[in-house]
Amino acid sequence: MKKIRNLFAAARLKQEFANRRNKLYRVAFSWCHNTSLADDLVQETMLKAMKNADSLRNPATLDTWLYRILLNNWHDYLRVQGRNTELYDVSDENQPGHDDSYQQSQIVGRVRASVQRLPMSLREVVTLADFAGFSYAEIAEIVDIPIGTVMSRLYRARQNLKEQLLDLADEGKLPVRLMRVK
Amino acid sequence: MSDETYTDEQLNLFIDDQLDTDEKDAIRHAVLEDASIRERVCQLKAVRELVGYAYENVPVTDSIASERSQRQRNYLWKGVAAGLMLAVGMFAGWVVNDVARTTQIASAEDVFQYYKSATQADRAERKIILHVTTGDIYAVKSALDEAEQLLASYRDAGTPMKLDIVTYKQGINMLRVGSSPYVDRIEGIIENNANVSLYACMHSIDKAEQKEGKPIVMMDKAVTNKSAQELISERLQKGWIYIKV
Repeated sequence: MKKIRNLFAAARLKQEFANRRNKLYRVAFSWCHNTSLADDLVQETMLKAMKNADSLRNPATLDTWLYRILLNNWHDYLRVQGRNTELYDVSDENQPGHDDSYQQSQIVGRVRASVQRLPMSLREVVTLADFAGFSYAEIAEIVDIPIGTVMSRLYRARQNLKEQLLDLADEGKLPVRLMRVK
Repeated sequence: MSDETYTDEQLNLFIDDQLDTDEKDAIRHAVLEDASIRERVCQLKAVRELVGYAYENVPVTDSIASERSQRQRNYLWKGVAAGLMLAVGMFAGWVVNDVARTTQIASAEDVFQYYKSATQADRAERKIILHVTTGDIYAVKSALDEAEQLLASYRDAGTPMKLDIVTYKQGINMLRVGSSPYVDRIEGIIENNANVSLYACMHSIDKAEQKEGKPIVMMDKAVTNKSAQELISERLQKGWIYIKV
């Protein structure tokens, strides 16, 4: 009976991981701006998560636990590459897909380029907050830094992005009309 | 009130909902009172929206997609009925995701629009939809705060505006007589502002009535013979600004 329960628990956990996979991938992409690398990072995260599922004591913390593994994988990669700062070289994968409208692509491209110019420590925090939607406490847990540091990094990241993006908007270089709901 | 009263760090905490109720109320009040604080909040919100928007449609890679297909194939043994349900579910999910995507796009765009409008202060009429989709009492209060803030800022700037408050799903509860604690406040807003209209989605009303097994009573001023989707689509096509609460 216990074995059956364990089997069901494992299947459920696997499904929980799978449900989060796309979001993990997009967060990984927001850090590295490289589709293959983001894919590798997520694959590695999934493997580690399955292997170490026993260490997840509280299912309510599944998200922070998974993103912490993802972040550790990313940092491991940077360490191996010797690129532990913001100088990660990225190709034109920064641009959105061809299916997007021109104006929409421009906005997305501008924002991604601005995020990419942020120092890595700021980039990680701002995407965890603004894209993944984590609270400050959760980000502190994922990145393993005090909440005060989360606040200051988020402040610096948004100041930096504000200067880059709102200046463009004022100069009229950034199209403000994206698209309309049909 | 001085613009320097609040630092950007505090305003970040405010937009990220990391403050306690008293602090939040104080900043919300400051936002209503002070155009420069309002503009700073708006800029920070714009940045947050844009970052969220920039990555939400990153296409998944082949390996992820193929793995998902594999998972879906594994479910086929469960039979035709389950397969049919899955297909219906996937279609529904696609529709919902598509709506969410367009909503997010509109939202990111309109924060920019709002920012630009506030700073440029030209005299063209602003037309704004405030879309309320939740019955959460705090969110409804925020929606009304937002409405009053918009009305005040445009009135102060001497810019004509039209505001349509469109409620949908649980959001219709804010206009329900006998259950909404905000009926009097909304009546006050309507009485003092001829440019504000209220709408309750007819489909949401139908569903609520079916669920409760009795007719529900909406405020007299609420228009109840159109669907929210229809209303919002019409307005967006005509260039209205969309704000989702």
